Amino acid sequence: MTMNQEKNAILHIDHLQKKFGKFQALKNVTFDVYPGEVFGFIGPNGAGKSTTIRTLLGILRASGGTATLFGKDVYKDSVSIHKKLAYVPGDIYLWPNLTGGEIIDLFLKLGNTKHSAKTDEMIKRFQLDTTKKARTYSKGNRQKVALVAAFSTDADFYIFDEPTSGLDPLNEEIFQKSVLELKEAGKSVLLSSHILSEVEKMCDRIGIIRDGEIVETGSLSDIRHLTRTVIQYQTMKPTTDLKDLKGVHNVKLEANGLTTFSVDSDQMGSVMNYLSSKELVSLQSTPPTLEDLFMRYYNSNEGR
Amino acid sequence: MENRNFHQTLFLTRFSLKRDWLKLTIWSVLLIVLFAAIAAKFTGIYDTQASIDEIVKTLKTPSMVSLFGKLPGSGPYTTADVFAAEMTVFMAIVAAIMNFSIIIKNTRGEEDSGLLEIIQSHSVGKLSSLSASLIELLFINFIIGLFYSLGLQVANLPGTDSNGNFLLGLGLGAAGFMYATIAAFFAQLVDNSRSATILSYIIFGLMYIARMTTDVSHPKATWFVPFGWVEKFSTYQDNNWLPVFLMLLLSLILSIAALWINNHRDIGSGIIATRPGRARASVFLRGPLSLFWRLHRTSIIVWVIGLLILGFTYGSIFNTIGDILKTNPAMKQLVGASEINKANILIIKQFVSLLMIVFGVLALFPGMQIINYLKSGENKGYLELIHSKPVSRNYLFTSVLILGILTSLMALFAGMWGLQLGGASVMKHPIELSVFLKGFYAYISPVLIMLAITAFIVGWLPKITSASYLYAGFALFVEYFGKLIDLPKWISKLTPFGYITKVPVHSMDIGTFWWQIIIALILIILGYIGYRVRDLNSAN
Repeated sequence: MTMNQEKNAILHIDHLQKKFGKFQALKNVTFDVYPGEVFGFIGPNGAGKSTTIRTLLGILRASGGTATLFGKDVYKDSVSIHKKLAYVPGDIYLWPNLTGGEIIDLFLKLGNTKHSAKTDEMIKRFQLDTTKKARTYSKGNRQKVALVAAFSTDADFYIFDEPTSGLDPLNEEIFQKSVLELKEAGKSVLLSSHILSEVEKMCDRIGIIRDGEIVETGSLSDIRHLTRTVIQYQTMKPTTDLKDLKGVHNVKLEANGLTTFSVDSDQMGSVMNYLSSKELVSLQSTPPTLEDLFMRYYNSNEGR
Repeated sequence: MENRNFHQTLFLTRFSLKRDWLKLTIWSVLLIVLFAAIAAKFTGIYDTQASIDEIVKTLKTPSMVSLFGKLPGSGPYTTADVFAAEMTVFMAIVAAIMNFSIIIKNTRGEEDSGLLEIIQSHSVGKLSSLSASLIELLFINFIIGLFYSLGLQVANLPGTDSNGNFLLGLGLGAAGFMYATIAAFFAQLVDNSRSATILSYIIFGLMYIARMTTDVSHPKATWFVPFGWVEKFSTYQDNNWLPVFLMLLLSLILSIAALWINNHRDIGSGIIATRPGRARASVFLRGPLSLFWRLHRTSIIVWVIGLLILGFTYGSIFNTIGDILKTNPAMKQLVGASEINKANILIIKQFVSLLMIVFGVLALFPGMQIINYLKSGENKGYLELIHSKPVSRNYLFTSVLILGILTSLMALFAGMWGLQLGGASVMKHPIELSVFLKGFYAYISPVLIMLAITAFIVGWLPKITSASYLYAGFALFVEYFGKLIDLPKWISKLTPFGYITKVPVHSMDIGTFWWQIIIALILIILGYIGYRVRDLNSAN
């Protein structure tokens, strides 16, 4: 998408900080989202995803740094920003004594739009019974109410905070399809999630947050570049020097005679040359998944 | 516990007591100190037989009977008798408020929030949670009752006896538990805690009105009203324990009924089920103001009609109250009919001036509740999606303020109108509405200040929103009881109601009106600023 090249970010966050009393929830959040892009915002529970999003919505007031949406300050100009914004929170609480249909219409009216053909289509797509009182809805159904309202809003920026945590696989797919349509229409989407397959499938770029700090941003392939590929092989000649090669980690001889190790992506070429010089019999490589990346950042002390 | 249905009940009871300890301690200490302190003060106020006779004369007038219940037995009365007469009904009302709020929160409230489901998924009996809540309330009411009794023993008012002390103390404890079981029963009947609260208070209001009416006309019929049983203790006169057993019996029946319903229904449901509604919003549901109206509609209607009925009921005893010849037959010989009529009307006006604070504070509650919704709805996560819409905080704040203020004023007006209608229904020469409206106009400014304080707290100190209810309760207590227990004058100046002239006996003071309105405006503006700059909370 050529739009990515335009450097007019729709969302621009620079060194955003948020303190709750003494607790520093956001230490340094910096990233941009461009027009026509789906940005994956990933991180474990409590890392600061929702706090970041609530700050972007002007619900919380930043303690430091700046955040602008459409070039406007997210706190001061929240009302005019919200005219072009749609949001689906992670936990959705709906007024128990209103029906799903009433709530959808109310949200649309609050956004200065109306119940449209698009709304009906979304209701049909998600198969939502709009005559039920919200108190009888399951978590997934409450999410559908918010999703229908969001998808039938004509916004320029969409924020989804773990939107599929209560949806079944079928509805998850409908969600993904609907986000794709937004993207095709040139809209921007900020998708917070910890369902990595979802992020992998849908997002153009991702940002990883840990302990209130963005530790990595970039496209999936950029980020993959930083990671290691796992290789399993067998050779005719012994490969005793392998473990001394640059970029090679965790060499292990398995019971079936195969050897596995992981290799930094940028050292792949030289390692392959070495292995082929030892007369390869079999070779299997597993590309890094987002999960490996995620684990690498979260699990260990080896992050920064 | 052998029975599977009650498995782990005692464990859950201990857990509830631990979880609620702060709330329970505050309520208990507040009630016990209030009760004991007043008891201790009484020896000072009513120390001579003359002062006792004076207050007894007042307490025997129909207006006082309607407020405090009928003075039991016959003279000569002692300080202890006066204490029992003034305090019994009042303490029973406070007990109802405490028990309603705690038990509904712990039963249907837990179910609404999904906590009960987590507890039920463990190895606990189906009825354990409800039983644990009932035992918790039984325990706390017993403790409070016991301390009441001990407080009376220590205060040792002239004319007390131990039997009466324990009857009054434990009897009030039993009354508290009876209210807990009433609310527990309704919490099983309907499927959400709001409806349970509303229903409990409707029943409570009906019982209050029933006891008031019967007290004034047929005191014997008060036996049919559970609320009236506390009056039948006849403390320090006959010391009748029968009402205590009646209350315990009714509590037992209601507990069993609640447990039975609990056992026969699914989690999250009630006997009165929620029906499906409309698929599309009506044209009227279009923004914050109409949303807040929709959310509070039922409670607004209940409060306004409730105050209308309360007013009507008080009004319908005007003919009894305003009959000066009843207490002073010699007067007929001394003055003419028109003079008597004037005197009668003055008595009624005096009665109304005493009632004004009741209407004023009751009218405040729904208004405060609506303004506090900015905080309670925020906490429950209902407002997060609204906050993401192009709706400014000022607009939200203005919406709750408008609705809150209108509701309180409407409720206050309904009370006054009810008084007039009630009076008109029994009097030959009804008092005109304009007389009661004097009260209404004079109370606008203090009501506004109280609501402005609520708004200020929502803006700046959202953690302590319940403080506004406490303050209103304090105002009611001071104005209603202040004179009877001889509180120092400055205490009544601690609330805006203390500055209002005695309406409708006198006319309102326009100067007071204006300075109070200005204070209210300042508080509201400060509230706006606070709400604009603070973080909004979310559920979790």
